Amino acid sequence: MMNENDKLNILKDILLTDDREYAETIAQKISALEKVLHTRSELAGKVDPIIDTRLDEFIEEIPKTLGPTITETLKEEIKNSKEQVVEALYPIMGRMIKKYVWQEIKLLSERVSTQVENSFSFRAWKRRLKAWITGVKEHDLILSELGDASIEQVFVIEKNSGILLGNYAKTETIDKEMFSGMLTAIKSFVEDAFQQKGQNLELIEYELYHIHIQSFVSYYIAVVVSGQYSTPVKNKLQDTIFKFSENFLSLMIYNPDITQNDIVNELNFYFNNDHI
Amino acid sequence: MTISKKIVLLGHFGVGKTSLVRRFVENTFSDNYRVTIGVHILKKEVVLPENQVNLIIWDIEGNEDISKTRSSYLMGSHGFIYVFDTTRKSTYENLPADLDYIKSGYNNVPVIVVGNKSDLVTKTHLRENKQYFDLAHYFSSAKTGENVETLFKDLTKKLIK
Repeated sequence: MMNENDKLNILKDILLTDDREYAETIAQKISALEKVLHTRSELAGKVDPIIDTRLDEFIEEIPKTLGPTITETLKEEIKNSKEQVVEALYPIMGRMIKKYVWQEIKLLSERVSTQVENSFSFRAWKRRLKAWITGVKEHDLILSELGDASIEQVFVIEKNSGILLGNYAKTETIDKEMFSGMLTAIKSFVEDAFQQKGQNLELIEYELYHIHIQSFVSYYIAVVVSGQYSTPVKNKLQDTIFKFSENFLSLMIYNPDITQNDIVNELNFYFNNDHI
Repeated sequence: MTISKKIVLLGHFGVGKTSLVRRFVENTFSDNYRVTIGVHILKKEVVLPENQVNLIIWDIEGNEDISKTRSSYLMGSHGFIYVFDTTRKSTYENLPADLDYIKSGYNNVPVIVVGNKSDLVTKTHLRENKQYFDLAHYFSSAKTGENVETLFKDLTKKLIK
């Protein structure tokens, strides 16, 4: 015979079994979640992909959203803090300038040494004599000679096409064919722009270099000169170019199949003594 | 034996002259359009069985009216490549007149006519515009590289004949 308590328990079982099971499932889930929350690696595994995605989106959006503001702020900051900017740049610029000056002094020193090494050459004796006659110190004359104009490169270029016919170069530095083409384009552009028939572009200045251009009927000659480019230098250079040209033209007339090598040999003959 | 030859690319703005040259010389392509101002000169060596040819390529700025192209850029040219855009009628509708203009000034200079951006048109489109496109020697795509090498080599062969 069941007593009241047994009956009550049976009733409880009937009524609460589902709820108990549900409560146990929830408890298990909470326990699992607690484990995830308290175990760093597991939490990272769940959260990291979400953060990564958000970060990627953020990085992609930065140029659009924050870019203009950052640029404006930087501009404003630079404008308002010129002194600080100069202070920050000073060490970098200073190092660059120091390096440049050091290199130039090194080059100058090497050139002076070369001059001194050649102290028994004809040129050296001529310099000493000049120093003795003029009263100018010999080392001042040496320094003055170092600033003399020097021929770096010579190009003989077909006038219309800009095709390089031949060149002389002390050092190979540029793509000579592309240089010839571009120089021809610049020359044509300038000459077209001024629309003065028969006038030619004669000189281009490029920092430490001057490009002297001498035009002839079917070709022109461009000479890259470093050092002082004065009127006497220009006249002397023109004389050399005319001498070369006279010979070059006769070569062309007698030998229409003249090769680039022939022209290069001629250029070497006339321009190899690079000091003007 | 190495010989140098000057070739000039002609055509309207944005037809792909620079892209064709870049594809040929550097084997690169970019979708970013940058207008050519003045002239850009590039060089490429083409090796043929008997000769080695230095092509000096003048990529000049586009012009809708060919007669307004700076004549000093065209002088002394050994060959021309006339480029039009197969997707833009305005770049090829004056093709016969433009070719006549070139012929009148540079009669013996070989000209190769190229319809560029062929990757963007259908065969139907090519058939529909046959009256214009019949004048083209090549259809090319600087993007895919289709026919680029071939057309430059073909012109080079014509230059040394």
